[in-house]
Amino acid sequence: MAAHTATRPPAPRTVAYARRWAHQNLFNGVGNTVLTVGVSALLVFLVFQLLSFVLTSAEWDVIQTNRRLLAVGRFPQAEEWRLWPPIWTLGALIGLSYGHWSRIDRLGYAVLAVVLVFSFTVLFEGQNALLMALAVLIGASGYVAMRVMPEGSSLEPKVGRALIAGWLLLLPLTVLLLLVADGVRTTLWGGIFLNVMLATVGIALGFPVGVLMALGRTSSLPVIRIPATLYIELVRAGPLIAWLFLARFVLLDFMPPILALDQLDIVVRAMLVLAGFTGAYVAEIVRGGLQGLPRGQSEAAQAVGLNSFQTMTLIVLPQALRNVIPALVGQFISLWKDTTLVFGLGLVDLLGAGEAAYAQLDFIGTQAEVLVFVALMFWSIAFAMSRLSARLETRLGIGER
Amino acid sequence: MTSLAPPGPRPTFWRSQRGRRFVYQAIATAGLLLLLAWFVSRALTLDLSLDFMEQRTGFAISNQWLTDFSSDDSRWMAYATGVFNTVRLAVVGILLATLLGVVMGVARLSGNWLVAKIATVYVETIRNTPLLVQIVFWYTVVFLELPRISRGVDLLDTIFISNRGLALPWPQERGAGTLLLIWLAIAAVAAVTAWWIRRRRLIEESETGRTRHPNAVAAGVFLLISAVGYLATGLPFGIDVPELVTIGNTQSYDGGITITPEFAALLVALVVYTGSFITEIVRGSIQALPRGQGEAAAALGLTSYQRMTLVILPQALRTMIPAVTNQYLNLTKNSSLAVAIGYSEFFSLSQTIVNNAGHAVPLFTVIILTYMALNLVISAIMNWFNRRVQLARI
Repeated sequence: MAAHTATRPPAPRTVAYARRWAHQNLFNGVGNTVLTVGVSALLVFLVFQLLSFVLTSAEWDVIQTNRRLLAVGRFPQAEEWRLWPPIWTLGALIGLSYGHWSRIDRLGYAVLAVVLVFSFTVLFEGQNALLMALAVLIGASGYVAMRVMPEGSSLEPKVGRALIAGWLLLLPLTVLLLLVADGVRTTLWGGIFLNVMLATVGIALGFPVGVLMALGRTSSLPVIRIPATLYIELVRAGPLIAWLFLARFVLLDFMPPILALDQLDIVVRAMLVLAGFTGAYVAEIVRGGLQGLPRGQSEAAQAVGLNSFQTMTLIVLPQALRNVIPALVGQFISLWKDTTLVFGLGLVDLLGAGEAAYAQLDFIGTQAEVLVFVALMFWSIAFAMSRLSARLETRLGIGER
Repeated sequence: MTSLAPPGPRPTFWRSQRGRRFVYQAIATAGLLLLLAWFVSRALTLDLSLDFMEQRTGFAISNQWLTDFSSDDSRWMAYATGVFNTVRLAVVGILLATLLGVVMGVARLSGNWLVAKIATVYVETIRNTPLLVQIVFWYTVVFLELPRISRGVDLLDTIFISNRGLALPWPQERGAGTLLLIWLAIAAVAAVTAWWIRRRRLIEESETGRTRHPNAVAAGVFLLISAVGYLATGLPFGIDVPELVTIGNTQSYDGGITITPEFAALLVALVVYTGSFITEIVRGSIQALPRGQGEAAAALGLTSYQRMTLVILPQALRTMIPAVTNQYLNLTKNSSLAVAIGYSEFFSLSQTIVNNAGHAVPLFTVIILTYMALNLVISAIMNWFNRRVQLARI
């Protein structure tokens, strides 16, 4: 069918074209016509219901009033300034990276416009709106700066390296800024900010664990291979919520009493469990990448005289990791969604904050509004990452070489 | 070609490859032993016995299946009830998620633009939203918002729907239980006979080319034998229709089977969520088939439904089984999110037990072993199925 349409000359976008298109794609045959009509009726009904909920019957006050709770939970107001420099840096990094490695197409501008309008009408207000606008401004100037830089400038490779360093340093510097000089204890972190921190710390610590475990599992030394395999399979056998249960009740009993490790608070323990859990899944992804690499690569590396450490770090790992980038992003999305499971530990993440919001006396009966909002927040970040992953896949030509 | 390398001095043991392997393994062994010693020494300070599981449970369980649990039973009984509840949820969930996934996977590749787009939107919305948010949504926004029991929906006095759950007619044994067992045995014999007849007729069909109606005849044979057995054993079970009973001021459903809102919410959320992943697996496996398969089937004059069910799906099945098995394992593990809405599967019951009695470490070990056992059972069934499918004639 596709071949059939492909042989035709490109039709002008006219009424005749639309009719032909509809005939081919919606009304070819009795069965399809019935299907189209039935599905359209259902769709119209659902869209109507949704619109009437969102625009008329829903009471969005609960979101407006509880903005702070949903964003940062019980984070002390006096310390909120600690959050802004990381957000500005993030804005700069996003703008610069987009300008350096990619460009915003027409669809991108449309999405950006929707996100900005939504952010500044619903999410931010007053002083916070100004501070956020600054982040957007920084990002936009970064993007423009990269676009106006002449093609093939000698700065380009340096900028690339600087950006990678920036992305790697962002998380440690953020954590440092949050904690130094009588900072905010992790137990006071909350809202979507807590989800972001759990997910990023989880992947940052889980990724090296995963790579080490993957190397361990593919090692020829049984003393290394067997424990690594056991670890991976054991962790993957249980659900994440069971491991978080371990963090809550058991972990401290097994921590050595050095460096106050046996007094870690519940948020840090949750981060450790998320990292260990993610590590096991990352290990399987990386192992797939290692096994997918032709043997000739490591043989050639040995033939030119690299030792086994050099072979691994210079030849094998870079290629193996590059091939599994989409799967790693997928794992990160899954971790991002899984951060909601910390509800079992009594933490107030975005979902917990939402549940607290609709439990308030003023807002009884607003579960639908709150949950739709919470779902939208999680969805938009997860969806953006899955688009990014698809883009990377085509950019890197994965599966084509 | 006699000497590739100059015959230098043999490397000392420490510089040889064997030596280095020895050193690495020695270091790793020492590290692991230290770690193990630490864990054992810590574990020995804890009370690891499972005796507390034999004491009285002290709380009631609202969802039950195949068990008759009361709060005076031991904690092991409570745990077993929970395992049954997990299994019930997982089995129904796996069947429905597979159905949804296959339908949506086919819809994703439909020639009908609208249907394909709707399937895409379904996948992209559900897959990128946390399962826990979806579970809470189905529970608090859908199933708890159904009308109260006094204003519940009443379909012909046989099916009742309200925020207490869904009451349905259900088979109920009558008289002696042995007769029911005899009837079950007869039904099993009927099923085997019907299966054998179907096979015979399929073979005849492929050898002679004449239509022998294998499915219809087999179904007829099965129904006939089991109906005769039902009469012969003296009607060992009947259909129990639920009733709305009022005692004092409280109303409840009596008889039949009541599906609680917790079970319903968890089931729907798990099915919709896992279904979106299975959709993508089904789509991928269909797209991985050579285009010629579908084209050849079309050239033979098969309708698009026949093309899908007889040619494309059976072949795509082979590539999708490993990935789908993974999703089945995920569904089973994700059923532990029941803890958020209070469906009594074994993980949430365990958490209640730990809150009451402590002893997290030994119980935690039992929990992980239970999950491993469930995983092994599912993997074993799917491996068996995989072997069958790979050998099947088409």
